[in-house]
Amino acid sequence: MSAYVVRRLLGLLPVLAAAIVLTFAANQFVPGDPVTVMLGDQGGNVELEQKLRREYGLDRPLPVQFADYLAKLARGDFGLSFRYPSVPVTQVIRDALWISPSLAAAALVLALPIGISLGIVAALRRNTLADTGIILVLVAGLSIPNFALAAFFVWIFALKLGWAPVAGWTSWRHAVLPVALLAIPAAAYLARLARTFMLEVLQQDYVRTARAKGLPERLVVWRHSLRNVLVPILTVCGVIFGTLITGTVVIETIFNIPGLGRIAIDSIFARDYPVTMAIVMLFTFFYAIINFIVDVLYGIVDPRIRISR
Amino acid sequence: MIGRTAAEAISEGSRLAEFSRLFLANRSAMLGATIVLIAVVVALLSSWLAPTDYARTNMLFVWEPPGDDFVLGTDALGRDVFSRLIVGARVSLTIALSVLAIALTVGTAAGMAAAWNGGWIDSLVMRTADITFAFPELIIAILVAAILGPGILTVIISLSLVSWPGIARIVRALVLTLRGELYIDAAIVCGTPPTQILLRHCLPNIVPALIVRASVGVGFIVMAEATLSFLGLGVQEPLPSWGGMIRDGLTALRTDPHLSLAAGAALGTTIIGFNLLGDGLRDLLDPRIRER
Amino acid sequence: MKSAAFTRYALAAALLASFAGPVAARDLRVNINADPEMIDPITFSALIAGDVLRNVYQSFSRVDEKGNVLPALALKWTAHPDNLGWRFELRPGVKFHTGRAFGAKDVKASFEALLTPGSKAGLQLQYLQRIVGAKDVQDGKTKDLAGVSVVSDLVLDIRFTAPDVLFPIYPFMIFDTQVVADKGPNWFMQVSAGTGPYSFDSWKRGQEVHLNAFKDYYGGAPKVDGIRFVIVPSEETSVTMYEAGELDVLMVASTDLARRIMRDSRLKADAQTVSAAQITYLGMNQNLYAPFKDKRVREAFCISIDRDAMSKGLFGGLAQPLYGQITPGIPGYNPNVRKIPYDPARAKKLMAEAGYADGKGLPPLKIANLAPFRNEIAYYADQWKQVLGVTVDLDIQERATFLRSLNAGETPFFSWGWTADYPDALYYLSQVWHSKSPFNRARYSSAKYDELIDKAQITPDNAARYKLYHQAEDTLLDDWGTCGIFVRTNVAVVKPNVKGVTLAPMRMLPYDKVTIN
Repeated sequence: MSAYVVRRLLGLLPVLAAAIVLTFAANQFVPGDPVTVMLGDQGGNVELEQKLRREYGLDRPLPVQFADYLAKLARGDFGLSFRYPSVPVTQVIRDALWISPSLAAAALVLALPIGISLGIVAALRRNTLADTGIILVLVAGLSIPNFALAAFFVWIFALKLGWAPVAGWTSWRHAVLPVALLAIPAAAYLARLARTFMLEVLQQDYVRTARAKGLPERLVVWRHSLRNVLVPILTVCGVIFGTLITGTVVIETIFNIPGLGRIAIDSIFARDYPVTMAIVMLFTFFYAIINFIVDVLYGIVDPRIRISR
Repeated sequence: MIGRTAAEAISEGSRLAEFSRLFLANRSAMLGATIVLIAVVVALLSSWLAPTDYARTNMLFVWEPPGDDFVLGTDALGRDVFSRLIVGARVSLTIALSVLAIALTVGTAAGMAAAWNGGWIDSLVMRTADITFAFPELIIAILVAAILGPGILTVIISLSLVSWPGIARIVRALVLTLRGELYIDAAIVCGTPPTQILLRHCLPNIVPALIVRASVGVGFIVMAEATLSFLGLGVQEPLPSWGGMIRDGLTALRTDPHLSLAAGAALGTTIIGFNLLGDGLRDLLDPRIRER
Repeated sequence: MKSAAFTRYALAAALLASFAGPVAARDLRVNINADPEMIDPITFSALIAGDVLRNVYQSFSRVDEKGNVLPALALKWTAHPDNLGWRFELRPGVKFHTGRAFGAKDVKASFEALLTPGSKAGLQLQYLQRIVGAKDVQDGKTKDLAGVSVVSDLVLDIRFTAPDVLFPIYPFMIFDTQVVADKGPNWFMQVSAGTGPYSFDSWKRGQEVHLNAFKDYYGGAPKVDGIRFVIVPSEETSVTMYEAGELDVLMVASTDLARRIMRDSRLKADAQTVSAAQITYLGMNQNLYAPFKDKRVREAFCISIDRDAMSKGLFGGLAQPLYGQITPGIPGYNPNVRKIPYDPARAKKLMAEAGYADGKGLPPLKIANLAPFRNEIAYYADQWKQVLGVTVDLDIQERATFLRSLNAGETPFFSWGWTADYPDALYYLSQVWHSKSPFNRARYSSAKYDELIDKAQITPDNAARYKLYHQAEDTLLDDWGTCGIFVRTNVAVVKPNVKGVTLAPMRMLPYDKVTIN
């Protein structure tokens, strides 16, 4: 088992390395000059421009910039923000660090039981009105864009009913609508998977045998089928978490939540390269860690995987 | 699994009939197919269907509610929302199909090359795919949009970039299973060039899986395009995009909701259509779930 | 399921940890649509930072909502007889937020801090250029700014190399420079060093900037505990927050939102409107697009736009046509400036005379701007298509690219604006159209215009100076060197129980007189 964990851990390295190289490269291709951004509408001061370029090391050759970037990264230093002159990137993102992953995790925790039970119910009642109804709801949940649904939710739940605040991030109540909105497509996706897996499982020989033996349906479902539905679902949790994390970009913008997602958009529009680089790396990092955890859990529930992969 | 024997190939005609019968019986798939068909027809005929020029502004009729003169009302510049919606269908579907074409071509080629050659080509393709997967999709799209600047080309490139690895993986897995088939071995023994084997013998066998993947993918692509346009990174004025129209209407949602609602309904319905169709096709074409 | 329980626990802890403390009841809550670009008076150079910092730092004078100049840190200022200097008599009894008393030496020290090499000084730097010895301090030759002499605790003499008649109205931000020595370069996040009605308390990035009321403010302590500038990038969110009572004052940034507010009877009842001190014009670079060298083409493009219809339609009445290059309400404005007609027939005729009948023969043309202004240029482009038969593509650019290209004079055709930073027409005329100005983004060049502006800059008498402004403006307009389009109306929505909030042409006045019932 420990060899398996080590192997999975080593597998993270190329991904993180790629993240570092790609973000650095991507920001080199980005149009627009950070110094111009720093000077804003009042640009044109050539002396000041050159001074800033020196201070931020933008006048050095690229390999040197990259080496310097790596050295600083090793010390947990993401450099200085372009948008806020002289402010370290770590200071810009420090407070936001846990918001996006917390929102995504909360949404996942909410979506898992709802999605799985819906999917199983639909599968057990295959081709009935209940099944069709659930499928239509699920497809709608997956198809209506979050940003459109959010406007509707805010109107109903925040303004008309007053159940939750409109926007901000000062109490747990501020997390209610964003988490619900994030959870909807995730739950729909999980339910579709659960339905498919359940249908597959129900056709397996051992389930047929169990039924043929005259075991009560409940026992068939719970003892023989559920475990075989949960295991494959576990493997997609990593992917869903990644989708949820990126979903926070839109949700945080709409609900004015000062998380990494909103800072990512802000920093891209503000050409704040160091902040963008740091956030993309952090997103990748979270994503990789979650996938790692999922892999390990998968290895625990299904020992075969430790050898075959 | 999806392999094809000579006997099966002969019964192609009867399989098609069987497929049609099952498909027509699947109500949600039919609903999806109808929606998709309407969307495609509207997109194809948009130049004839749109009552006015989508870019034509009129300062005397801004934010007109739906009525006799303007079926779905007008926007902030007095442009006809109905016309823009119709042209928006063309824009959305053109982008989706371009992305699909690129992703399918690149993904299939990469997946086949990886499976057939193995070795370093396989490693290269699969590691690239892995790394692409390691980045959340929207983050890649946003980064590309930041580099290239907003626009249709940006949307197509960034969405193709995130779409090909999934297809490459599926194709690779399918071709690997096919390599074990007898008739492929026979072809190799006869000295048929690899490209010919792949195109003539392998491709037809993976088409069903690709169709399923594609129809589900279109829904995702249309949604992603709308999201990018909503964030201001996608389709640019004066060309209409459903995502952009939703954003433009959002500030006026409670006083003049027609713009956001019309665009939202068009977008939602279209994605629902593709998803229903995709689900239906998967149920029918993926034998693991097909009822026996 | 141990792991699920752990996940939930970790999640709850993370959620709790990321929440801030409770909101105080008597703070004034105002939205800003992005984080301030900076929070210190030295590097200050942008609009949102200004909205916050004008409550913390002050200058010699301030401006009321009518554009009148009132005394602030100086009670009186008189020009030296040779017009090459000013004497300032400062207000007694003024205290810094740090507790120290304000005096003449602090003004001098603030100027020196701005000029010190490596200070990264922003907007204020340009206002110091004519002070004697400014260049020496900037070059690091000396730390002492020779042109500023402290006559007594509260009297100050400032000398110039060339007359600077507007110096007393420049919006400086005088601060207690002692803090730099005490707290180091990052002082502004730790202490507040201004003299204004509010002192800086905290800045939570992406969330809010909080100011405390300054009890010792010379104008009397503010009646509220403080101001909470809530950072809300999404406009739709900001208006919903206002409706839900999460904001006391709603600052409206975009046309779309302004329109929506005026269409909603409840919001409209709370709204304040005032014509902005901001021009919007078309930049036509004659060097980069040859047909623009022909005055007839410039005029044709300019008179193809229906300014009245646009103000009423697109802006829902929240804008007015701009004919000259000075906004109404700014001293030096010419109410009799010649109107630009909407004249499609003449526009067609001019194009035909210039050899471009129905747009034939014109090289491809694009008009550049930023995404928030896409509706405006979409309207222009459609008008040129309909009136002149010319296809003009929209070139929506990313902000940094757009600004760099503008500043480098590399954009052939654009629509852009310029916001006044002090209340005098010279701000527009000298910065946007003088051939020597770095902000002359269309690279317009007219010797006659430059001469008139140069002369105005050293004319102390207001009436005589305004006359020169009008002559210069007419020269520019007769040449169709520019094309004014509209002046936006600033809109803010204020809860009825909040009094003392005043929207002015140059954005919100400081909140020193605010009360909440």
